[in-house]
Amino acid sequence: MTAPASIPAMPLPRLIAAYFSDAKYESLRLFRTPAFSIPILAMPILFYTVFGVLMADGRTPTALANLTFVDWTVYGVMGPGLFGFGILVAVERNQGLLTFKRALPMPTGSYLSAKLAMAFVFAIAVMAMVAVLGVTAGHVVMPLARLVTIAAVMSLGVFPACAIGLFIGAWAPASSASAFANITYLGMAFLSGLFFHLPPAVAAFQPIWPTYHLAQLALASAGMHSQGSPLVHAAILAATTAGLILLAARRLSRAG
Amino acid sequence: MTVGGDGADAALARLSGVEKRYGAIVALDGLDLDVRSGELLAVLGPNGAGKSTAIALMLGLQRPDRGEVLLFGRSPHDLAARRGVGVMMQEVMLADALTVREHIAMTQAYYPAPLTLAEAIALADVEKIAGRPYLKLSGGQKRQAQFALAICGRPRLLFLDEPTTGLDLNARETMWATLRGLVAAGTSVVLTTHYIEEAEALADRVVVMAKGRRIAEGTVEEVRAIAVRKRIGCATTIAPAEMERWPGVVAVSAEDGRTSITAIDAESVVRRLLADPGLADLEVRRAGLSEAFAELTQERAQ
Repeated sequence: MTAPASIPAMPLPRLIAAYFSDAKYESLRLFRTPAFSIPILAMPILFYTVFGVLMADGRTPTALANLTFVDWTVYGVMGPGLFGFGILVAVERNQGLLTFKRALPMPTGSYLSAKLAMAFVFAIAVMAMVAVLGVTAGHVVMPLARLVTIAAVMSLGVFPACAIGLFIGAWAPASSASAFANITYLGMAFLSGLFFHLPPAVAAFQPIWPTYHLAQLALASAGMHSQGSPLVHAAILAATTAGLILLAARRLSRAG
Repeated sequence: MTVGGDGADAALARLSGVEKRYGAIVALDGLDLDVRSGELLAVLGPNGAGKSTAIALMLGLQRPDRGEVLLFGRSPHDLAARRGVGVMMQEVMLADALTVREHIAMTQAYYPAPLTLAEAIALADVEKIAGRPYLKLSGGQKRQAQFALAICGRPRLLFLDEPTTGLDLNARETMWATLRGLVAAGTSVVLTTHYIEEAEALADRVVVMAKGRRIAEGTVEEVRAIAVRKRIGCATTIAPAEMERWPGVVAVSAEDGRTSITAIDAESVVRRLLADPGLADLEVRRAGLSEAFAELTQERAQ
């Protein structure tokens, strides 16, 4: 092997390929890690089976069946980003992997974009599974076009989920990041009314949670009954995402 | 755009007057260090000497409090500069679920003109473990896998932070042979190590660090002379001032009735000591590297 006399420039196709390669290996390794893939993929399916399939029957109104489906899809879509970033960033900071990656000529932002891509891959997988279950056994009745619209809008939920996860991953110690991610995930789902109707005193605080806004946005986009203005929901989700990323970036640039 | 073409001033990496503190601890205290084209530079020193900090600065992982850091004549934060660099760090845990082959493929993708996957696997001698998940590797095999990642991008400059720690003898010899081959082919290497033997086997030039400073620099032989010093301890009635005049004696100190002598030629010193009827508790041992370095630091400070 001969060392180059000078460092060649990075051809653009190779640079783009590097982003794809990082995304591929990030998804692959998490798919092979049962501690991650099972809760992310199985939990929403399990919950939806209990609440959407076993507790429903032929007399369940379609509107309710569809609502249950949307709520549990929101839950499923938020998981990969929240856990993928929340736990992994904290652990990888702790294990020196992040430092190693920063020493390598890894393209700018590839570490995060790979995790974002992974979150999309897993989120789409969860949505597909919940949708198949809903249509075949959950008494969900809606045209395919509407299903696709809901899925597309839901995908936007990956961004705030990743931002929340990144915030946890940047600030929490590796040993407790998993606990923080779990509490946030379950707490957010409960308190935003995804699991069941909340008493009015608690329901008043639903708009704090991104899951609430995502669910309302999905319902509105599908022409189903929703609360508030879709534009406001979208703006709140975008602002939450941006704010949390900024806070996380501050921490990561300081602590590495 | 290409960077790092050889000018007359061919330092591939350079620290000039660099200071780095962690709170009250001074990690680097005005360090100057050049890495020259085509050399294998060994950086020796005890724990806490600042070796790893020096490398972290050259890689852009940390910023100096004072002074200048250049990599291929640019800021090490510049991605284009880091594309000429391969790295093996001391403590890194790679993704458990990916195989060695997958790790190499992922790392190669960051470089403009890397080795082929097969070349990298062969060169790092990891054929046997290429298909294994990182989780299933022994400590030594993990170091070999990390070495493969360091060289797979065909870097012009390799940073290896204590690369052979935890390796068995065979694996160490193989890694040394690979490094010699790489240097012969024009790759420059910066290697930190505790082992004088490793520097002896590989290095063109040795820099000794202690307390964040460069305290010695030279060929392996020159540094070796420091490391072979012996330490003689005893209780004796001979005055320290007299012993300091003996041939082969480097330093003498006396404390609580016990005299400590550092000597290059321990045998002749012991012969003289035996002439003292008051001699007791005679002890001779080889000064460890860190002790030798500590003395060197004191000598320079005086």
